[in-house]
Amino acid sequence: MHLKILASTLLVLLLRNTLSAELIDATLESRAEAKYGAFAKNRFVAIDETLLKKLSDESELKKLNAVNTWVNYIKYASDKKVYGVSDYWATLYEFVGKNKGDCEDYTIAKYYILKSLGVDPKKMKFAYVIYKNRSGKNISHMVLAYLKVPQPKTKDDVLILDNNNRRVLPASKRPDLIKMIKMINGDTGPKSKKWKELEENMQRKKL
Amino acid sequence: MRLFNQMGLAVSFIIITILALVIGLNYQSTKQDMLQGVYETGVNNIATLAHTLAATDGDEVMISSTIDAAFDSGYYKRIEFTSSQSDFTYKQENKECVATVPQWFVEFADIENRVISEDVISGWQTLGRVSVVGDSDIIYQSLYKTFINLLYLFAGATIVSLIVLAILLSYILKPLKAITKQAEAIIRDEFVYQEKMPYTTEFKGLVRGMNLMVKKVEYIFIKGSETLKRNQELMYVDEITGLYNRRYLLLKLPDLITLENRANGGSFMFLGINGAEILNQALGRATADKVFGSIGSMLQKVVEQFEDALAVRANGTEFILVIPDTLASKSFELAKEIHKKFEQLLGKHSLSIEDVQLDIGLYFYRPNIAMSDLLTKADSALTHAKADELNSIYVYEEADDESAMGKEQWREIIEDSIAKKQMSLKFWSMLDVRTGTLNHKVMSFTIDSSAHKQYFYGDFIAPAINLGLVSKVYKLALERLFTGKHEVLKNKLCSIRFSNEFIKDPLSYEILASLLKAHVKNLDFKIAFELSDGFVVRNPMLVKRFVALFKESGCVFGINSFTSESDDFAYLKVYNPSFIKADVSFLLDQTTDSMSALLVISDSLGIEIIATSVATHEQLEGLKALGVYNVQGPITETLR
Repeated sequence: MHLKILASTLLVLLLRNTLSAELIDATLESRAEAKYGAFAKNRFVAIDETLLKKLSDESELKKLNAVNTWVNYIKYASDKKVYGVSDYWATLYEFVGKNKGDCEDYTIAKYYILKSLGVDPKKMKFAYVIYKNRSGKNISHMVLAYLKVPQPKTKDDVLILDNNNRRVLPASKRPDLIKMIKMINGDTGPKSKKWKELEENMQRKKL
Repeated sequence: MRLFNQMGLAVSFIIITILALVIGLNYQSTKQDMLQGVYETGVNNIATLAHTLAATDGDEVMISSTIDAAFDSGYYKRIEFTSSQSDFTYKQENKECVATVPQWFVEFADIENRVISEDVISGWQTLGRVSVVGDSDIIYQSLYKTFINLLYLFAGATIVSLIVLAILLSYILKPLKAITKQAEAIIRDEFVYQEKMPYTTEFKGLVRGMNLMVKKVEYIFIKGSETLKRNQELMYVDEITGLYNRRYLLLKLPDLITLENRANGGSFMFLGINGAEILNQALGRATADKVFGSIGSMLQKVVEQFEDALAVRANGTEFILVIPDTLASKSFELAKEIHKKFEQLLGKHSLSIEDVQLDIGLYFYRPNIAMSDLLTKADSALTHAKADELNSIYVYEEADDESAMGKEQWREIIEDSIAKKQMSLKFWSMLDVRTGTLNHKVMSFTIDSSAHKQYFYGDFIAPAINLGLVSKVYKLALERLFTGKHEVLKNKLCSIRFSNEFIKDPLSYEILASLLKAHVKNLDFKIAFELSDGFVVRNPMLVKRFVALFKESGCVFGINSFTSESDDFAYLKVYNPSFIKADVSFLLDQTTDSMSALLVISDSLGIEIIATSVATHEQLEGLKALGVYNVQGPITETLR
């Protein structure tokens, strides 16, 4: 009898811990609803239902495509417009909640969803690139780079998840990305100040 | 303010000063070290950054992207690039506040990192200048952490210091507590010495001084007591026989025959020696004195058999024995025995009763007899005895007092009054002639019978005692006092005189205890209970119990009919009465010496002396001359 109680208590505790460690949970959904309305809640429910649950057993490529497509539906807006500062790294929650953000916010959102889907975070890099837009103007830009192999030799070894392109393509098929400036690790490498802040905000599910 | 609080404040002040100094010094050096560290890191980083920027060949988008990448992957406050023509500037800056440190600290610390700049040179061409400011958050956090840690450390140190201080002080100041106890003991008339000398030098002197003072106070008390005793002996004791003298008899007689103390009256024996001059002639003066001494011893032995009895040498050849509460037959037998012993005594000196006669006049007095009446009748009895040649003992016969009420009549009156609670209280004043204040009232009470007749205390108390109703009478009187409204008593002391018989009654203690417990706390005046001096001296156990009850209940204890009957005055120390009431005649009878001795004792014990039955201004002046200023009696009415 005592053992049963102990076991069930442990199970409850274990479940609670697992739940709170989840990327999306019920508390977050109700908080999002309170702050941004029912549509925001629905977006989080959609991430949970259509991405996290449905894609868990799919191939990584399928995960990359689905996540890229889903996240790219969110509208682009500059940090200046949304947050009133020139550069801000929003959490997945702020980005999805507000339903707008800049290239860095798309990259962050994709990174965390994919990580939650079981994609090795070491394979994902935050890439600072120069992007030539349709009118031929060079723009400083950020994309999520997925390394097919641990140490890529060619552009074919790197897949690009970009908010300016609904398809996930190898870097070789992205002539518009004219220059790669720098690739930095996600939360797996040495933590910069920006990363530290983002990680803290993600942990407390800052909306 | 307690010493601990004062020293605690001082210790806290010292610790806070040290804390401020340590924090100040620590803060400055840590701040400088950290600023230097950030500067050095900045110098390292700027070289790499300048090199990377040089590779952009001045492409503005690439420059901004490179700066973004560098800024996002490191710890910077600001990175800024300005082209050499100043036509392009790009800046990344973190303007946010330091989240983990309170704003007041940020403002207080005011850290300004140095700007590190370097030219960006590509080939032979200078593209521009890059400047870097390192992140200062880490400095704020580190300084704040140091500050908080020091604060905790000193708070801990302060608490520990205060605890140690409290323990130390309580140990060091122990002698002071003992001195306080000594001082309090003196107030209670106890003389306590500190045997154990304290460890602290300063307190050693203090304790010695205090011991000396206690010794001095005790000495004053003992000295006063001895002087008074010696004076009493000189004044009231006949040197030859060792018996009390006439002066003492006149002083004591009212108390012995007072109704409230004596239920039954008693025997008054007047002895006259006829032919005393033969004693002197036949035996010589010295031996004759010895014979008188033997007579004195013999009479003293006789009276010792009776409670409250008194033997007195009234003058050279006359002796008086007062034996309260004795039956006529018993005292007649006693007179015969005395006569026989006198004869034997003469025989020892080869003299016969024919040479020296002893005549005894015997009078049985009733309670409440006037003193003059008593003496006249006793004198008459002795005269008869002397005149009667056949019988040397004469018993004075008195016609029955027809006006006296019978026992049953009294029972009816008293029980009826108790049942119907018919009793009135009267309050007499005690006056302090120096201030003219009447802060002390004396309570008396009357029984108001159904027949509209009022009986005074003096009338009913003896029958009440005889009928065993004294407790009930006092109970009713006290209930009246405690439950009634008495405007005259407000904020004053109300004194109640207890009959000896009331105290002796086994029921009284419980009655009194329950009454005091129920009422005293609600009264707007203070209560004093008085017991007579003789009773207090002779019934130490009983009195002690009652005095303890009075004091526990917040009441005051006083002694009345004070005649300094006891050989020593230690009992005053034991009971520590608030006041002593003595008859004006007793006080005026005192010599200056004995009065000053009495005042020394009363002053050293904090006892107030009150003269009772003061009637005339002459008496009042006499009392003032003796240093007695509190009076009771008819004079208070006149003075008012």
